Amino acid sequence: MSADTNNHLPPDGDSPDDLQTLAGQYVLGTQDAAQRRAIEERLPHDPELRAAVDAWEQRLQPLTSLAPPQEPSPGLWLRITASLWPAAEPQRAAAGSAASSRWWHWNSLALWRGLAGSGFAAAAVLAGVLVLGDAAAPAPARYFVVLAAPQSQAPGWLVQAQAADRLRLVPLGSDVVPAEKSLQFWTKADGWNAPVSLGLVKPGEAIEVPVDKLPPLQPNQLFELTLEPAGGSPIGKPTGPIQFIGRAVQI
Amino acid sequence: MPPAASVTDDNFDHALALAACARGDRHALQRIYEQESRYLLGVAMRIVRSRAAAEDVLHDAFVAIWSKAHSFDAARGAARGWIYSIVRHAALNRVRSSARESTLDEPTAAAYEASAAMAAWQEEGDTLDRQAQLGRLGQCLEGLEPQRRECLLHAYVDGCSHSEIAARVQAPLGTVKAWIQRGLRALRECMQ
Repeated sequence: MSADTNNHLPPDGDSPDDLQTLAGQYVLGTQDAAQRRAIEERLPHDPELRAAVDAWEQRLQPLTSLAPPQEPSPGLWLRITASLWPAAEPQRAAAGSAASSRWWHWNSLALWRGLAGSGFAAAAVLAGVLVLGDAAAPAPARYFVVLAAPQSQAPGWLVQAQAADRLRLVPLGSDVVPAEKSLQFWTKADGWNAPVSLGLVKPGEAIEVPVDKLPPLQPNQLFELTLEPAGGSPIGKPTGPIQFIGRAVQI
Repeated sequence: MPPAASVTDDNFDHALALAACARGDRHALQRIYEQESRYLLGVAMRIVRSRAAAEDVLHDAFVAIWSKAHSFDAARGAARGWIYSIVRHAALNRVRSSARESTLDEPTAAAYEASAAMAAWQEEGDTLDRQAQLGRLGQCLEGLEPQRRECLLHAYVDGCSHSEIAARVQAPLGTVKAWIQRGLRALRECMQ
């Protein structure tokens, strides 16, 4: 073999040796992004390549013990659970009967479990809930947005725009935010250059946000909550991971 | 550095915990996190080289572990290795798709962790200790030509691309690729 052994991705039907080299290099991690993607796309329907990769994973795995352990920051587990189970176990259920009875249907796990599976189709169902729901609830919103976790699609917050000059952001559960982080609320309509901050949000607390300084709400306008450093993004633009995201639906 | 016995439970059953995750048992994921997160974060940090990025990798990897737990197949390998593979590949995909490559020509970048993998290899103590820890793999790595061993460790432990390794070992790219291919082949033969 020459020192210039070529390293392109062999086509399907490589020799056993090529397959081993390819699998070994994938597990080592030396290839570029395109080569890695090509292998990852091949793996699900190429049992031979998969077996070769599995064998390399097992051969080399002891080397992971050469990396010195690092203690994760205390908030990391909370961040993981917030992403996986955003509306988990509302902790304020027992806290104040007035608030909890008024929003009882927002805390109904059965309702939200049902809606979580259907993702943004939940919007249509919610419109029904808003219109037909609790007589004590405010007049139907002109727009509303279901903010869902990007990974699980589980609904976490609801944005209601009942008046032209204000938005109401309502929690559907109580998220857990690490002590040194803040949840920040943003919006961006099609055609805006960057999202605009609507302020910081406390987990589990509804807030009203004046929006009289902003252009009128548009259908499909984007809303999101991101995890930012305590006190909010230092640069006026989202810097942290998106916790919940959704687009405005007119009703 | 080997896992400290006082911190981890050597009898922890990763396969059982993954099966529980697949059934929707959230505490099982938490047990995996408590058992492995400090080692997984160490693995990710060596590859992505920043704590914040490594924590992002670990976050995404645990979300993936939860959502893919049902697809774990013990016939294809050990559960602990499956978890480590998810973290390593998440870290590798992150560095390969970022612009890290472009900063490597800077002298400081070249000097940065210049021989981190080899240093770790040497700090790991004497050959016997290492072999106890790495088993047959340690013996086979000892048997490789040092340059090939160094390339493999820079790749696996430090997440270096071919060109990053070439910069670190100061050898032409083609030579490095050949060393890695031959190193892999020798390793596989040795471990059969």
